[in-house]
Amino acid sequence: MENELSRVVDALPGLVWTALPDGRIDFLNQRWCEYSGLGVDEAHGPGWQTAIHPEDIPGLLERWQSIRASGEPGEMEARLRRFDGEYRWFLFRTCPLVDTSGLVVKWCGISTDIEDRRRAEEPLHAPWWLRSSERERHFRSIGDSIPALGALMTPAGEVELVNRQVVEYFGATLEELKGRAIGDGFHPDDRPDVLAAWREAVEAGQPYDFESRLRRADGVYRWFHTRGFPLRDTEGRIVLWYLLHTDIDDRKRAEALLAGEKRLLEMVAGGHSVSEILGALCRFVESTVSGCYCSVVLVDRSGTRLEHGAAPSLPAGFINSIIGRPVNVDSGPCAMAAYLNEQVIAADLTSETRWGPYAWSPMALAHGLQACWSTPISSTAGKVLGAFAIYYDQPRTPTTSEQRLIEQFTHIASIAVERAQNDAALKRSEAFLAEAQRLSSTGSFSHFVATDEITWSGELYRIFELDEGVPLTKELISSRFDPEDAVFVREMIERARDGDVVEFEREFRLQMPNGSVKYVHTVAHANRDQNGRLECIGAVQDVTERRLSEEALGKVRSELAHVARVTSLGALTASIAHEVNQPLSGIITNASTCLRMLAADPPNFEGARETARRTIRDGNRASDVITRLRALFAKKDTTTESVDLSEATREVIALSLSELQRSRVILRSELADDLPPVTGDRVQLQQVILNLLRNALDAMGGVDDRPRKLVIRTERDEDDRVRLTVQDTGAGFEPQAAGRLFEAFYTTKSGGMGIGLSVSRSIIESHHGRLWAAPNDGPGATFSFSLSRAAKGVTDTHGLGVIRMPVTAARRVMRNS
Amino acid sequence: MVIRSLVSVVDDDESVRESLPDLLREFGFAVQAFSSAEEFLASDCVCQTGCLILDIAMPGMSGPDLQRELMLRRKEIPIVFITAHRDETVRPRLLEQGAVECLFKPFSDTALREALNAAFRVS
Repeated sequence: MENELSRVVDALPGLVWTALPDGRIDFLNQRWCEYSGLGVDEAHGPGWQTAIHPEDIPGLLERWQSIRASGEPGEMEARLRRFDGEYRWFLFRTCPLVDTSGLVVKWCGISTDIEDRRRAEEPLHAPWWLRSSERERHFRSIGDSIPALGALMTPAGEVELVNRQVVEYFGATLEELKGRAIGDGFHPDDRPDVLAAWREAVEAGQPYDFESRLRRADGVYRWFHTRGFPLRDTEGRIVLWYLLHTDIDDRKRAEALLAGEKRLLEMVAGGHSVSEILGALCRFVESTVSGCYCSVVLVDRSGTRLEHGAAPSLPAGFINSIIGRPVNVDSGPCAMAAYLNEQVIAADLTSETRWGPYAWSPMALAHGLQACWSTPISSTAGKVLGAFAIYYDQPRTPTTSEQRLIEQFTHIASIAVERAQNDAALKRSEAFLAEAQRLSSTGSFSHFVATDEITWSGELYRIFELDEGVPLTKELISSRFDPEDAVFVREMIERARDGDVVEFEREFRLQMPNGSVKYVHTVAHANRDQNGRLECIGAVQDVTERRLSEEALGKVRSELAHVARVTSLGALTASIAHEVNQPLSGIITNASTCLRMLAADPPNFEGARETARRTIRDGNRASDVITRLRALFAKKDTTTESVDLSEATREVIALSLSELQRSRVILRSELADDLPPVTGDRVQLQQVILNLLRNALDAMGGVDDRPRKLVIRTERDEDDRVRLTVQDTGAGFEPQAAGRLFEAFYTTKSGGMGIGLSVSRSIIESHHGRLWAAPNDGPGATFSFSLSRAAKGVTDTHGLGVIRMPVTAARRVMRNS
Repeated sequence: MVIRSLVSVVDDDESVRESLPDLLREFGFAVQAFSSAEEFLASDCVCQTGCLILDIAMPGMSGPDLQRELMLRRKEIPIVFITAHRDETVRPRLLEQGAVECLFKPFSDTALREALNAAFRVS
């Protein structure tokens, strides 16, 4: 029975097993063991679980637990591994075995292979692409409703299904498409890359992503973004690819336009020539809009004629016949567009009636052109700079998108032309400035105080004898300055940094590396730019030559002064002789008398002594005269001393008395006794007084109808300066000659050299005084000069304490140093 | 004749007025010195003067002015001009106009003596 039952159990069409109430398996039939390949011992207890698909174990155990808990019969499904490793779905059914008291003593189960049944049921659960009956319906319901080209392809690249959009785009039925070779429909240029990317995606099983051009039914290629997703079966094998082509042609076009625009603007920014830029612009439009030819003509500077801009693809004969035409409504569409500042569309030149006077249309037709759209190029200020034209070899009207394109590119053209014109203007003005700087030896600088950012003009580099572009450091610049000036500059910068209003004008001394010295006159001021940064701006003029010529002029003046002195000497020879002969005469007469008194009998000693004494006195007098003359006529370098002008005048009068007498001049001297001293060269000042005196005598030379009166006056004037006045009753001068009196070699006298007054004036000016002349109310003229009284104590001429320094003060500093 | 031996000196230069009279007195002449032509003309010596030693350049009336004035007054006094201004063209002109001599300062006592002798010979 046992054996028979055992045979029965093994013969049952199922895997039979029993389990204890706690779930442990205590029996498995032979079929179970044969199926699973597990031995009875391996499968007993929980060992049977090793044959269950790992994914199914948790669900199975949970179900088995709840069945046991219920004590009722139950069912479970799970995949059971066959001896060869293949999992097959099984239905596990179990029933409890109950003892008389109602307790479950055992669970009896049978597992049956339901793999085939489940597989037959599978399409209901599988994805749509695996269900062949559903596939097309499903694909169409989605595919036809999306705004893209959709297709199902086999991994081999054969078309399986396409949506409606594909049929419409390619203009081919599914059957026709299925017949096409793989890659057909792509732009030839894109095809190799498309195929390579496709193969790569198929091999890797990764989504496919590519941009390429697809040929539309009408032959036009449009850009598409293609994405491909692999569709897998339950085993994970790729069975199909879902391809989605999205039309990105507009985006591509916009990108291309943007890139072209960017390239053109880069050319503008990069300073390319306007003809290069316009040429590139024409070529770009021609490449973007197929079948067109472009040109740009410019309005010339006078605004009346067209000049060449660019026309890279148009026949030279055609464009040349446009160039030079007047800007008006008759000479052609471009001239008309430029003249009216509005777009001119000639959609069909064969029927065009405008521009007859210039026979423009026949000329264009002769070159094979049948349409012309000309658009004015205007500056931002609204001035017409030229015209941009698109030509076709067939009649055409611009589309909206073409109009947008035209608008975009005339704008770029206007930027290019305006920029070029501005650049040219800027270059011209820079060239002017550089030329002006070069001619005037004036350089300019800017110094941002906070950052020490220093910018120099080219001329300034030249003045400082530095190579243009050499990095400008404060150290390098300071090394060119005199130490004293370097201190001044540093101080100015510090002041500026501290927020002082800095403004100065000063002459600096520069030391060149070769040891030569340069003088530069610098005007600078600091203020804040629009960003609030403190900027010191200045102009530096190289005045070395002027300084040198001033020095040379000074030398010539002193030579001239000497000449004038010597000239006076010649004229004064007589009076010198007179002055010297007078005391000599006394000496000789006295000596003779003395001798006679001594030779008398008895000798008159008392008389002799008196005459001898007089001899000595006259000798001293002669000596004084000689000393004075020597001082006056010796060529001496300038000396500075405190001079009492009244005293100096007295000496001059003393020397001139005889001449005054000879000239029968009545002299009245009004010399102030309490005159403050002036600082200067005594001899030079006396030279001036003598000149004025002699000038007055000469002026009165021809006067016989009135007294020849001469007044010499020294006094303190209203401005607390010391003034000397020489007033005569001579011929005077015409008021209009007042300015010329002091010119060198200007003279009203036939015998004079005309140097006296000009030299006098330069002497007085070198003493920082003023010399002038005025006609009298009555006859004659008055010559005066005034000088500052000598300063008390030491004056602060260095001027480091003052911010703004007058140029004269600066020069004085130079001299002092 | 005694009266006519008066020598009058007219010179604005004080040292001349001091030194020359002493020398003339050594020569034995009576001497009167005047600082200007005007002073001389105003004095009572005009008629007594046997010889006039006259400076050429003086403030106010010059030596030649005085000479002309004396000629106008028919006072024919021999005149010896003295001048510190050595102008060779002056001398012949003065001599031509009747001067006895023209001495350039400084002159020697001998030259003065000869001039005086000539003057008194004329008179």
